[in-house]
Amino acid sequence: MATQRLVAIFELLAQHERTGPASGMLCSVAAEITGLSGAGIALVSRGEQLTSMCTSNPVAASLMDLEMTVGSGPCVDACGSDFAVSEGRLDQTSDPRWLAYRSRAVALGAGAVFAFPVRIGAVQLGGLALYRDREGAMTESQESDAYLMAAVIARAVLALQARAVKGSLAWDLEREASFDFQVHQAAGMIAVQASMTLGDALVALRSHAYALTAALSDTAARVVARELWYDREIDIWRNVWGRSE
Amino acid sequence: MTRESLLIATLVELADNLVDNFDVIDVLTVHSNRCVDAIDVDAAGVMLSSPGGELAFLASSSESMRVLELFQIQSDQGPCIDCFRDGRAIVNYELTEADELWPLFTPRALAQGFRSVHCLPMRLRGRTIGALNLFRTTQGPLDDEDIVVAQGLADVATIAILQHRTNLDAQTLNGQLSIALNSRIIIEQAKGMISQTVGCGMDEAFGQLRAHARNNNLGLTEVARRVVERELAIEDLVAPIAAKPPR
Repeated sequence: MATQRLVAIFELLAQHERTGPASGMLCSVAAEITGLSGAGIALVSRGEQLTSMCTSNPVAASLMDLEMTVGSGPCVDACGSDFAVSEGRLDQTSDPRWLAYRSRAVALGAGAVFAFPVRIGAVQLGGLALYRDREGAMTESQESDAYLMAAVIARAVLALQARAVKGSLAWDLEREASFDFQVHQAAGMIAVQASMTLGDALVALRSHAYALTAALSDTAARVVARELWYDREIDIWRNVWGRSE
Repeated sequence: MTRESLLIATLVELADNLVDNFDVIDVLTVHSNRCVDAIDVDAAGVMLSSPGGELAFLASSSESMRVLELFQIQSDQGPCIDCFRDGRAIVNYELTEADELWPLFTPRALAQGFRSVHCLPMRLRGRTIGALNLFRTTQGPLDDEDIVVAQGLADVATIAILQHRTNLDAQTLNGQLSIALNSRIIIEQAKGMISQTVGCGMDEAFGQLRAHARNNNLGLTEVARRVVERELAIEDLVAPIAAKPPR
């Protein structure tokens, strides 16, 4: 049975490779095979830092961005553990986890969220995040499809990276992914603007995005475009119209 | 452990067992059967080349197909052999008694009841790694659409092989991926710092990093790391370059 599902996954991948856009194939197939509303894949580096690899639609992108902003959520949890994470009723549960994430995720359009570790044996690569626009737990067959998909993603990512020039991300991987490195560029700029460490600069950026209920990626883009900067002297954020934020 | 987490633990184990010890022959056998269901052919088989370039039979949808695949390999003759060698599809080839192309293969295929053959190359990064072979008991051409589907099926078999092979090197590859991702992050951070300090764009900031790496015989990531750790002052990085006279 599982073999049949694995072949079904491979068939979808081949189909997307032929007819779909150049990137995001792994996310799109993940959403399709599980029958959920959308999917995102994150890679883990430096122990805990998450990098978004791809997302299958704008809501999935916003949810992934939200987890990066607040530093908590299903994908964050799944990336750091051996176990899948599941919340079938994002709006209503009294579960205390993900306090900063929960209500904003609902506002973005998620009714239920799930995440699965992406790994091969003990080798941890990241996480597969899935959401549904309504409430409801995953069925058993959806779950087993998600586990299979996570395993396929792990191998696909490594296969894409295999041909890289030593020390760099593979061109094949960059093409399949939608890495957004502006967050790190912005952190570098803020570190100089505010005389902070990079770690603190990233926290400052994330806090500001959260305070504005803005996407981290959008806020970073504004910093890089020099529309937003940190004024060290008066210890506030300023924007291009000379106003504080 | 609640019933739910026990179920999840069992699922994890099953999925891991399946994909870690992923029986590629099992997968390709299922795939061969699906080929027969999906398009208008009566038998399907997959051959794969070894690193040494020799073809090996992997899977088929029927015993008679298996016999013919093995025979082609043993006699080094047949449509699948040609398809693999040339990397080009053989489509709608009708087998007749008078066939001169494969004098050993054709009579045997006819004896098994097959009347036409189609072989699609399995290609990976510019190399032909094997062939998906489709035989029919009737004559007459395959639909154009079936031919497109058939090549798609060959691509699926290729993905299955690729997934299987990746299993073997996971630890090493993951280490390289982690390092590559971290390096890239550090480089982007350094670009931001330079851009802010000097007042230039990201591309020029990258240019400064590269120039310093080149002039001092250092790796790009190492230069970026020194900038980020503030071991290398950005003023020291850019000043010598600005001072060079234009050529």
